[in-house]
Amino acid sequence: MTDRRSFLAGALAASLSPRIGWADAGSPAFLSAAQEKNGNQMLVGLDAQGAERFRLPLPQRGHAAAAHPIRPEATAFARRPGTFALVIDCREGRVTAVLDAPEGRHFYGHGAYSADGRYMYTPENDYDAARGVIGVWDTEAGYLRVGEFDSHGIGPHDIKLMPDGKSFVIANGGIETHPDSGRAKLNIPFMEPNLAYLGAEGTLLETVAPPAEWHMNSIRHLALGPGGTVAFAMQWEGPEAEAPPLLGLHRRGAAPVWLDAPGAEHAAMQGYAGSVAISQDGAEAAISSPRGGRVHVFDIAGARFAGAIEARDVCGLAPAAGGGFVATTGTGDVLGLQGLRPVWTARHGRAFDNHLVTVGAA
Amino acid sequence: MIRRSVLALALALGAAPLAAAPADIAEAVIDRHVLPGFARFEAAAADLQAAAEADCDPGSDPLRAAWGAAFDAWLGVSHLRLGPTETDNRAFALAFWPDPRGMTPKALAGLIAEADPVVESQAGFATVSVAARGFYALEYLLYDPQFTPPTPYGCALIRAETRDIHALAAAILADWQDGYADLMRQPGPEAPYKDEREVLKALFTALHEGLQVDVDLRLGRPLGTFERPRPTRAESWRSGRSLHNVTVTLTALRDLAMLMAAEDPASAAALSADFDRADRLAADLDDPVFAGVATPQGRLRVEILQQAIHEIAEETRASLGPALGVAAGFNSRDGD
Repeated sequence: MTDRRSFLAGALAASLSPRIGWADAGSPAFLSAAQEKNGNQMLVGLDAQGAERFRLPLPQRGHAAAAHPIRPEATAFARRPGTFALVIDCREGRVTAVLDAPEGRHFYGHGAYSADGRYMYTPENDYDAARGVIGVWDTEAGYLRVGEFDSHGIGPHDIKLMPDGKSFVIANGGIETHPDSGRAKLNIPFMEPNLAYLGAEGTLLETVAPPAEWHMNSIRHLALGPGGTVAFAMQWEGPEAEAPPLLGLHRRGAAPVWLDAPGAEHAAMQGYAGSVAISQDGAEAAISSPRGGRVHVFDIAGARFAGAIEARDVCGLAPAAGGGFVATTGTGDVLGLQGLRPVWTARHGRAFDNHLVTVGAA
Repeated sequence: MIRRSVLALALALGAAPLAAAPADIAEAVIDRHVLPGFARFEAAAADLQAAAEADCDPGSDPLRAAWGAAFDAWLGVSHLRLGPTETDNRAFALAFWPDPRGMTPKALAGLIAEADPVVESQAGFATVSVAARGFYALEYLLYDPQFTPPTPYGCALIRAETRDIHALAAAILADWQDGYADLMRQPGPEAPYKDEREVLKALFTALHEGLQVDVDLRLGRPLGTFERPRPTRAESWRSGRSLHNVTVTLTALRDLAMLMAAEDPASAAALSADFDRADRLAADLDDPVFAGVATPQGRLRVEILQQAIHEIAEETRASLGPALGVAAGFNSRDGD
């Protein structure tokens, strides 16, 4: 049966297919969900200067995406309380798998791949039990659900793989919601957010919680720096006048560091950080507030506020190659931020949704 | 006909972003909606405290009536979740609902089982979990068979609850009168509200979120899903007030909406028609505790009311918000 032609074809496939990578999808630097002017929802690939590399339709409003570490493959999550996620071949522009949340569950709009790209991990709400769950999916079996474990908190929103490739950090926002009640928050006076570190099998390694008086500070989004620094962005559910810091930094085994801008500049964030990023060199962390229309940048080593950059409806944030950050806005701008100011702008006729995801990073 | 088209043109122009001073709208909302609403609430809470002092029997008609009147007055301002209601968790202490984990009856049973002396002082009772305080806790004590048999401790607990509600109402009113109203009247670069738009935005948010509470919680929770309706998740079903609460909040929200739409005749007309429709549906529903959600037909009627209130919320967002210049951005509107 093995004639020369099919042997060759097989050999070619074997040698070529592992090399299919993000370069085959136009080498996007970032992914973002976006809404077009006509109301259509898209997953957009952007280059390092914010220009479009591809756009692929989504059936409903997206939230965040996860980029496969090797293959040009992205999982696009519907906005909370979405019950499905689409795996998209970004080279061919087609949906190759659909993740359906199990009965009684919904996704939170985020997910993470394992370092080798074999597994996808999805924060989920087991809503009748008000229990946070992390679903495990085998990407090499067509994204078959192969397991799950407890997130060790309510409302697990974001998840990142730690640099050791074996453990995770999870932002348990602490807020109970139930799809019967839309997006209404059901337990604000009793919420208990935490940052939970879990081993690969779901064993709890460490948790970090805000001090008791800040228990209404929902830990929602995560960024990883070189060396395992975790930056976490928070959304304050208490009285606006009392808004505590919205950025936390943590390293395993150490006490968390809480950072905010002085006085009125902090108040201008309106108690809300939408995204967080750490610069490539690990020197700076940034949080965005679409409500306050600003990005706050912090010096990590000095644990101090470095400065603010104003941008209307800004939310998506990612590290820029070579330093600084890239931000996206609901008004259609992609902004290169360096030295505490925008140094370039790419304008799109679309509204970028909450998060800008780096391709080729956890 | 010419007159009519001139009128139509004037109405159409009225829909454009208004030039009228936003300060006037804020002033009207504060003076005619916020301050009188909290003053009525304080007075009704004082009556409730007096009624409990006079007769603490859970079956007492005057006590139950005073509880109902104070609850109505609270619902008339419960959407104004800014400043004074947020200090020290006051709004949650007055109204801890929904209670998906059943914390209120557990917390009350705990106080009763220990005959916790915390009921003896107002300061002591203020340290009790918000789940055991406020109108919903008092509803259990007045209407739930687990709690209604009269006992000396139950009497002390009811009195502590009403004293606490009145103290909270008085503190909120005082904060509004002695500072927060002026903060909203006098925005400035160094003040909590930077300019008049921020003031309007806060009031607009209160209106929109108030409508959303009716849609998502008061109606959404008992509706559950078609496969699994949840009638016992209805708000205040023990006292038979579930639909009544929706009606009372709609009245208050209409009052606020009309003041905010005062300079925008097109939005005012559309909102007025939307509120009329929701009121009519509520009046015709004839299902005081939404028990009907368990049947397909009854469910449909509750869903129609929910949809009607949803449309009011959408109307505020689509026309009133932009007309007031407080339309939120794609990300800032409802972030995650």
